[in-house]
Amino acid sequence: MTRNTGFHQRVAAAVADHRLRTAVRKATWQKVEAREGSLACLRNSGELRELAARIRQHTLARLPDYLEQFARNACARGAVIHFAPDAATACQTVVELARYYGSKLAVKVKSMTTEEIGLNAVLEAVGVQVVETDLGEFVVQIDRDRPSHIVTPIIHKDRRQIAEAISRRLGCEYTEDPVGLTRIIRRHLREIFRRCDLGISGVNFAVAETGTICICTNEGNGRMCTTRPRVHVAIMGIEKVVPRLCDLVVFLKLLSRSSTGQPLGSYTSLIAGPKRPGDPDGPEHLHIILLDNGRSAVLASPFAEVLCCVRCGACLNACPVYRAIGGHAYNSVYPGPIGSVLMPLLDSSGKHADLPGASSLCGACRVACPVDIDIPGLLIRLRAAQRRGQSWLKRTMMRLWGVTMRSDPTYRLGQRLLKRLLPDEGDGWTVRGLCPLARWTSARDLLRPPLKSFRQLWQEGQV
Amino acid sequence: MKVALFATCLTDTFFPRVGQAVVRLLRRCGCTVEFPAAQTCCGQPAFNSGFLEHAAALARRMIRVFERYETIVSPSASCVSMVRHHFPELLAAEPRWCRQAQRLADRTYEFATFAIGRLGLDPAACLKFTEPVTFHYPCHARGIYGAADLQRWLAANPSNEVRIPQHPDCCCGFGGIFAVDYPEISGAMLEDKLDVLVATGARLVICNEAGCALQMLGGARRRSLPLRFKHLAECLAEGLGVLEPVA
Amino acid sequence: MSGSKGGPGADASANALELLLHRLRLRPAYSTDPGLPADPAAIARQVQSDDDLLARFAAAATAAGTPVESVPAAAVSATVVSLLKEHGARTVLLSPLAGSALSVAEAEDLGRALREAGLQTTLATDDDTLFSVDAAVTGVIAAVAESGTIVCPSGPGSARGASLIPPIHVALVGSGQLLPDLCDYLAGLSAQGELPANLSLISGPSKTADIEGVLVTGVHGPGQLHVLIVR
Repeated sequence: MTRNTGFHQRVAAAVADHRLRTAVRKATWQKVEAREGSLACLRNSGELRELAARIRQHTLARLPDYLEQFARNACARGAVIHFAPDAATACQTVVELARYYGSKLAVKVKSMTTEEIGLNAVLEAVGVQVVETDLGEFVVQIDRDRPSHIVTPIIHKDRRQIAEAISRRLGCEYTEDPVGLTRIIRRHLREIFRRCDLGISGVNFAVAETGTICICTNEGNGRMCTTRPRVHVAIMGIEKVVPRLCDLVVFLKLLSRSSTGQPLGSYTSLIAGPKRPGDPDGPEHLHIILLDNGRSAVLASPFAEVLCCVRCGACLNACPVYRAIGGHAYNSVYPGPIGSVLMPLLDSSGKHADLPGASSLCGACRVACPVDIDIPGLLIRLRAAQRRGQSWLKRTMMRLWGVTMRSDPTYRLGQRLLKRLLPDEGDGWTVRGLCPLARWTSARDLLRPPLKSFRQLWQEGQV
Repeated sequence: MKVALFATCLTDTFFPRVGQAVVRLLRRCGCTVEFPAAQTCCGQPAFNSGFLEHAAALARRMIRVFERYETIVSPSASCVSMVRHHFPELLAAEPRWCRQAQRLADRTYEFATFAIGRLGLDPAACLKFTEPVTFHYPCHARGIYGAADLQRWLAANPSNEVRIPQHPDCCCGFGGIFAVDYPEISGAMLEDKLDVLVATGARLVICNEAGCALQMLGGARRRSLPLRFKHLAECLAEGLGVLEPVA
Repeated sequence: MSGSKGGPGADASANALELLLHRLRLRPAYSTDPGLPADPAAIARQVQSDDDLLARFAAAATAAGTPVESVPAAAVSATVVSLLKEHGARTVLLSPLAGSALSVAEAEDLGRALREAGLQTTLATDDDTLFSVDAAVTGVIAAVAESGTIVCPSGPGSARGASLIPPIHVALVGSGQLLPDLCDYLAGLSAQGELPANLSLISGPSKTADIEGVLVTGVHGPGQLHVLIVR
């Protein structure tokens, strides 16, 4: 690659980090097995998946109608709808709302969308304290780390690292026991839940038929953040719409199974507006921010399918590349296979240019995806789009290769040249190849071609 | 039946014995085998790298080379997958070529599914192992045959001891150009794969893909691991007595 | 379009949304429209029959960490008392149980039984109460056998926090409230038209596996959820 994005350095560091690889390997395989086990309990997981894919594709095809229907119905229930064309507007809207309502302490449900727009830093800069309440995100926040997975943010940390972070930052006694650590965090956050005045969440699904937003969590922080503070601000990508409640069911049945292997998460909240007169508790105000931030451009592109994503994280768990390097090496808000497609599309600065190439196209992601997104196909198309940005050397080599393959005399010449390029270090193997084959031998030995190729044997009648 | 062999560039260059095995097996099953000498490559490396015009050029070439053959058989599921699933898509913008690509796709077969499924070769009779055996399921065989099929063929003869590796369909890290563009990632994936194979205790690994074999052979040798890799075709041919056994 | 009390920027935002929708409609969607499925429930439904709903509910709930007991109405008070005492609860929030598993008289009975057993009961839903009581006993408006789910709504007297903040939640479900499948529940909602502002579909105690994949209950919501099905 001509641009140096630091990807190769990050990858080299990750691959050499034995602790990281062990943690990620263990966690991802466990989740793969949990997903497969729970999908097997469905009477018709294949059909359900096809149905889910169809609903997503249909929704994207008719997105303006469903968005409008959702906005209308949500307003009718007392929510205020905002639209943010980009991250800056979205953050600015939240800031203005915080100022308007005099908010001082914001609690957040885990939301990749808010990570995407960099909301926390913006709010803190204007004096609003922001506290992440998802246990993993809380640890990430107090440890000044970054999440490495879109569903389980601290998959890269083992219990010792978590214990060190908690005891150091909260000043409490040291324990590595997961139950003990959870108690400490629960106690700490309960104080925050009592005092918070602004709740910020994402949205898992927005139902157009009823103007309802659906938020799924296991910990209960999703409910705390959306019921306790006076003001609830929900930020959703415009692609999160689902046509009807009967369509929502399809995704509820697939989301947790794909994500954590559970039939349904502990808490699924269906929120239709702020509190009503007579409700003992609940937010007085509900603001929903519809976020574009590049999605409408993707929708009109050959890569529109990527917007079918329901953010389950199954592709990350299935991906052998993710398993080898962990989430941080991607240096992107969304890592893993879906991130490798989404990030270069949402951020065309070149920062994510390495991501589409960093895949063997094995297809495990597609198999795992509950809405059957053809991630390998999208990666190939992205690579095609990036072709002109490839190094001159790469393009020339590919052109040369293409020419070599286009006639059998040149092909055979190519075979002979290959043998020349591979020094025989004895025993029919090359251990230190000449460039570009040095990149192969950096990681493994290279078998030298046998004396006679198949076609030579055929010609000599030895087959 | 007349069958044309699509050897694939990697098999032709690095694993000619696999080609021999396929040809001899097909002959034993009563087929006349031809080898269109003009064949080169299906273009998968160009396609995967996004060099779609190069890939399309090679697709058109391959269509022409194999034009007059009714049945085409290849030892590589990934190359067959390229022809079946991606040639029509690559040439979608040219209706005449696209139709020809579809016709080629419809007559191109992966070797094991052809020999066992179409020609009735009986794995129970031909696949006899004298030691525990394990296997690697190549990712690009998805849509051609499944890991369960491979396992079933190997276990067909009850005297075979088949050791199922953990996650047999996990990618070995080859990925074509990926292996040289991202050698650290490819190497890490390879490490995980070899660990899983070694953990089965078996030393013989059935691997039906030339690219995966290059990757795993290279990694095993680098780590001095006692693993040997064979293509199913070689095992079938040896079992049927049409190919001299090697270790 | 922008809601009753706009708040800052709502009007400008509404215009921007109109513009986006307009732009999206002008550009042809890149992909084809496979059409909206007429009846997703036909495929999504997992529980086809009404048989054994109680057993199915119990199996699904137990698998998710929710102990389930089935008792006749006359035994509810004694069961709740013993359950709460077993887990060391001394103060209990009673959420209105009307319209659910118990009649008004039965609900009053329950309160009396708890007090007689030495527990302090309250109907208050202010923060001090919510954050200090040991347990809450609530009704539900629906339960789903397929996933072992109970549904707690917001509404007059029904605090969202009741099923969330106290560490123990005992939910009373009338056996007639059991629905076979999540599809049935959402179809009912769809037909209803009117929705409460908040519906919490609860399928187990609060849990996390963020620390090395080890399952821990009682993160922010109740660490214990008990369901009593009242026959």
